[in-house]
Amino acid sequence: MSDRHGLSILCLVSLLVPGLEPAPLQAAEPTTAQVDFFEKKIRPILVEQCYRCHSEAAARNKKLKGGLLLDAREGLKAGGDSGPALVPGNPEASLLIKTLRYENDVKMPPKGKLPDAVIADFAAWVKMGAPDPRGGTVVKKQVGLSFAEGRQFWSYRPVSNPTIPAVAARDWPVNDLDRFILAALEAKRLQPSADADRPTLARRLYYDLLGMPPTPAEVDAFVQDRDPAAYEKLVDRLLASPAFGERWGRHWLDIARFAESVTLRGFIFQESWRYRDYVIDCFNRDVPFDRFVKEQLAGDLLPAATPEERQRQIVATAFLVMGNTNLEEQDKKQLRMDVVDEMLDVISKGFLAQTVTCARCHDHKFDPIPTRDYYALAGILRNARAMEHANVSRWIEVPLPLDPVREAEVKKHEAKVAALQAKIKAARSLAGKGKPTQRVLAVKDLPGIVVDDAQAKKVGEWMNSVFSGSYIGTGYAHDKNEGKGQKTITFQPELTATGRYEVRLAYSPGGNRANAVPVTVFSAEGEKTIQVDMTTPPPLDGRFLSLGEFRFERTGQSFVLISNEGTRGHVTADAVVFLPVEREGRPQTPASKPKPSSAAKKQPEGELKALEEELKRLQKAGPHRPVAMSVLEEKTIEDARIHIRGLVGNQGEVVPRGFLQVACYGTIPHVPPNQSGRKELAEWIASRDNPLTARVIVNRTWHWLFGDGLVRTVDNFGTTGERPSNPELLDHLATRFMQDGWSMKKLIRAIVLSRTYRQSSMVASRSPLLRVDPENRLFGRTNRRRLEAECLRDTILCVSGKLNLERGGRSYPATLTADYGYRHTDLRRSVYLPVFRNALPELFEVFDFADPSMVVGRRNSSTVAPQALYLLNNSFPIEQARFAAERLLGEKLLDDQTRLTRAYRLCLGRTPTAGEQAVAERFLKRNRDPKEAWAALFQMLFASADFRHVN
Amino acid sequence: MLSPITRREWLLRTSCGFGALALSGLAASAASPPNPLAPRKPHHPARAKRVIFLFMQGGVSHVDSFDYKPRLAKDDGKMLSFEDARVLANSGMRASTHRVMKPLWKFAQHGKCGRWASDLFPEINKHVDDLCFIHSLHTEGVAHGPATLFLHCGSTTFIRPSMGSWVLYGLGTENQNLPGFVSIAPSAGNGGPRNYGNAFLPAVYQGTALGKAGGPVSEATIRNLTGPLSAASQQARIELLREIHAEQLKRSPGDAELEAVASSYELAWRMQNNAPDVLDLARENKETLALYGINEKRTDAFGRQCLMARRLCEAGVRFIQVTYGDSSANPAWDQHSNLPKHGDHALAVDRPIAGLLTDLKRRGLLEDTIVWWGGEFGRTPYAEKNGTGRDHNPGGFTVWLAGGGFKPGYAHGATDDFGALAVTDKVHMHDLHASILALLGLDHEKLTFRYSGRDFRLTDVHGRVVKQLFA
Repeated sequence: MSDRHGLSILCLVSLLVPGLEPAPLQAAEPTTAQVDFFEKKIRPILVEQCYRCHSEAAARNKKLKGGLLLDAREGLKAGGDSGPALVPGNPEASLLIKTLRYENDVKMPPKGKLPDAVIADFAAWVKMGAPDPRGGTVVKKQVGLSFAEGRQFWSYRPVSNPTIPAVAARDWPVNDLDRFILAALEAKRLQPSADADRPTLARRLYYDLLGMPPTPAEVDAFVQDRDPAAYEKLVDRLLASPAFGERWGRHWLDIARFAESVTLRGFIFQESWRYRDYVIDCFNRDVPFDRFVKEQLAGDLLPAATPEERQRQIVATAFLVMGNTNLEEQDKKQLRMDVVDEMLDVISKGFLAQTVTCARCHDHKFDPIPTRDYYALAGILRNARAMEHANVSRWIEVPLPLDPVREAEVKKHEAKVAALQAKIKAARSLAGKGKPTQRVLAVKDLPGIVVDDAQAKKVGEWMNSVFSGSYIGTGYAHDKNEGKGQKTITFQPELTATGRYEVRLAYSPGGNRANAVPVTVFSAEGEKTIQVDMTTPPPLDGRFLSLGEFRFERTGQSFVLISNEGTRGHVTADAVVFLPVEREGRPQTPASKPKPSSAAKKQPEGELKALEEELKRLQKAGPHRPVAMSVLEEKTIEDARIHIRGLVGNQGEVVPRGFLQVACYGTIPHVPPNQSGRKELAEWIASRDNPLTARVIVNRTWHWLFGDGLVRTVDNFGTTGERPSNPELLDHLATRFMQDGWSMKKLIRAIVLSRTYRQSSMVASRSPLLRVDPENRLFGRTNRRRLEAECLRDTILCVSGKLNLERGGRSYPATLTADYGYRHTDLRRSVYLPVFRNALPELFEVFDFADPSMVVGRRNSSTVAPQALYLLNNSFPIEQARFAAERLLGEKLLDDQTRLTRAYRLCLGRTPTAGEQAVAERFLKRNRDPKEAWAALFQMLFASADFRHVN
Repeated sequence: MLSPITRREWLLRTSCGFGALALSGLAASAASPPNPLAPRKPHHPARAKRVIFLFMQGGVSHVDSFDYKPRLAKDDGKMLSFEDARVLANSGMRASTHRVMKPLWKFAQHGKCGRWASDLFPEINKHVDDLCFIHSLHTEGVAHGPATLFLHCGSTTFIRPSMGSWVLYGLGTENQNLPGFVSIAPSAGNGGPRNYGNAFLPAVYQGTALGKAGGPVSEATIRNLTGPLSAASQQARIELLREIHAEQLKRSPGDAELEAVASSYELAWRMQNNAPDVLDLARENKETLALYGINEKRTDAFGRQCLMARRLCEAGVRFIQVTYGDSSANPAWDQHSNLPKHGDHALAVDRPIAGLLTDLKRRGLLEDTIVWWGGEFGRTPYAEKNGTGRDHNPGGFTVWLAGGGFKPGYAHGATDDFGALAVTDKVHMHDLHASILALLGLDHEKLTFRYSGRDFRLTDVHGRVVKQLFA
């Protein structure tokens, strides 16, 4: 195809431009002169400048770039990832020439542009048809598996329903999953471990289901319960506890890279707590997992029976937009695709355990995922608008629907506000027509930080004038209506504090003024340009125009720049005022502090002020319509083009929207041309025919309960991931999960009721289990596990008695504008501590909390000195240990031995050994102050190794 | 005998940290977990052992400091066409018109090499014969956030490990009582912790922040190194913990994980006893303090940070970053308006940096220490929006390197006549990363980590070692 195309152009060139040296029809037969030209002018440059990255040798050394070979004639013709390198006879259309001329996004050679003469040689060579005497072949590109091969791979095969295996030790299993475990063990001539004792089991179960330890009384009740169904009763009670959702919701938040701020500029996601509460609520209500998937991907597009349901569904879609996005990326096309890429990463890893984003720039090197599939999926997400773009882009918040009663209230309120705003607008135009109350104002008489035009930095000639007779300071400046595009005036205040300011511009209006003056405010929020019409009087006092409210940082750049570029008429500038804004969004002082007598004179202005006050009161009082982070469907629905090598500026063919082809079974939802396709994407993922979804969540659940998944690479079910240690069990669980209506609680219940889960973590050191299965891939014992950061903190607070069990809601002041240096002092459960990307709670940081910018299916588990330093020296464990000591000493306990038993049971869930008792007694004896001694004991129990483990 | 977990099993399941080193009696055992921070052999013989990166946050104007462009004075005030990175990113327009602005500082030749430099940094100018300039650096990201992340992590967007973490991962560190990667007074802004974060590398490779940008120098210490308790009370508690651990070990003898936790406290204890000495500048004599400009109002803060960097470097810390910046959205050198403000910043860093160079050299440390000076990008040779400052310029700017095998008295590459874009012997930020790694003995293509099914590197699929930079 491309050959014929090239040929026809060649013919055309030779026909149309007869004066030129004829381009050869057969590239294989260049003339001697052409060969000479190639050998002298072209080949040396190719060898010197290009072969390092574009040759067969480079390919052998894995240094080939862009899939482009320049050491073979065929290589040039076939081109690389961006397409054919040249169009023989047409240098202007040849990628090679554009690249050499640095006209393309890709510029070569990277070290610097070649001399113009050399580039001219190349152009001449292409023009003569790119005669090339070289032979050589093109190396085959490395690609991942084909679809046919891929469908043989375990994770892309449909989920099966394996028969329950027969086992020898028939009395061991309590349910079917035990039979799969036991069969695998017996195949290796292994036996499962003994059951854990009841106190150990209770502690394990409480941490696993609630994330908190049982109280000693709860352990006692379970140990003493003679009912054969005692354990089952306990499991059901814990599954019904609201703390269950707090524990399991947090697991999902690790996957969803849940956060409440963005790294860049520390902006707060004011509404993302709603998503956290939604997730917790879903686990507590046991919302079917397939439903949970659909709500997060396309909740806004799903039908809803009630406003409450619709609210929940919209809140769920925050899942899509909590990425740690580079809001200030200046290339917004790039940013749009980066946001899509991030969403795709979270969706594909989170639900499907696939590394789809590897295919953004090239076909996946290992898995059966071609770039086409990437852009088929990206096309869907590209139709979901996630950002409003500006110098610093902003995520999208949408209003939430309300129940009819509240809806009516809010609507009434909104109508009132609108009416008042209209009134104010009218009053303003009236007031604006009046003259300023005081013609000449001194800088010192104005509130806020005032920069007069006399102090402003001027570029070009600005004329000082007092002609209008109304101005601030020593007059105002104007550009003489000359030198358009050459003059600017910059107002730079000395701010004494970081905070929000209202910026007001004073200018001198008039009929001969410019009507569209670009005024740019540089603030911590980026830069914003406002077009100011200087032919109309400023609305405030006939003197000021409010440019809006902005956040400025004391040490950051804060200034207002007025340019006369593109203006017609005089550009004037009198002063810029920065008024500090109070927390609730209202300036601390009025625009000016004129004498009472003069203020009362102008009736319209007095009225205006009263109206503005009323508006602020009204807006503050509410009722407010709640908003949530979400996405909007784009106005234009379209398919995406392949971005060759992932470059936004290098667009290839259009790919119809769709899904991962290798994982498409059964009825595939059809993507309608006028909708984004998110709903269909959700349906495809949440389908029983999808080979990945159920397997992935079942495996995650197993991981969260056992510390290791049946597939240990929980986020990667591709060919570079691990294989399942017990594939039949995985499929059995997945099948059953779907049959049970995708119920998470039923799945968890089945697992924790199994005998496998109830095994002891203690194994005889000579046991064949340790020799044959050292990594415990077959689950012939329970893994001892590390407590996560949240569990450590919640346990410390349980022991000290300071835990605040309040649930849900925003957990930081609504007025917070940036997360920098946020101090976490809240004593609520850890799941409610705000997840600020620049300011995580210190305990979270040192104890391997999930990085809130990435999908984390498996947390790190490190043992490092900073953890020790934290527990030894940080005031949190020291203080809580003191509270724990006070609490213990306040209880009616007989003696130190009873107290010690209680302390051990509270902290470690077991009684102290004789040796431990002796150690504690000696310590207590050495210390005069019992409170101090017990505080020390508690702190060191928090610090001890047993505290951070569950057996 | 019951054993809850074997050493081997534990090894396989956990990424262990500092703590692992001191496992008493385990060190000799073949099954003992390797200390991930132990010094490791480089890929090839190294010329440098460590890095001090002096980060000039916000972007120093190269055309006002080290990149001499006579054309700017000649064409001052002229409206000319340039390819502006921000305009290009925003609109796709390659050409836009801007007012050329001459440098505000005077240029002259310095040193035996006759290097042109302005009088913005008079003290650093005295060291030009030791410096290796790159005038043709270019990078990614037009705004601070993306460009700062690119500078540190080699990516404007994706969550990637910081260069210091990569180096620590590649080489380990020489002093197990101190963190191996330290960032002194890092900025909370523009990527904040991500700029010294380990991302997907194991947590032990995370940078340790000493203090914060704009905070008092007294706070520039390792967190939780000291606490509210008295020394006696703490000593007593540590003793108690040792006994508690001994008893816990009796319940499960030979438990490697338990021992690792216990030994992490021993290391913490050693850090607590050693690190304060390293961080204590009072141990330096008056002459040295004066050399760094310490106790003088303008230079005290940055002087102390530079001196601390030298002390850490001497103590065997692998990668030390010193930031001159702040946590605002427009940090320190970001003079979009009021360019003369560059003078204040230069005053604050010039003496301390020159002092550091002198001090490293006379102690013989410059031999195997790379000193890297530079920002996330440079600035435009024209006035931003025709105002009084310069906008960001990722297309061409200058950094310098000293010591550790970089060629002294050398200048590499060039920008165009105006200093707008790198044109000759261009060096990309990826190339600079690759070259610094090369002198540390690391091959940037071999320094990989497998995550999410593929091998990642600092330089992604880019970067080339610029050998001309090497002595």
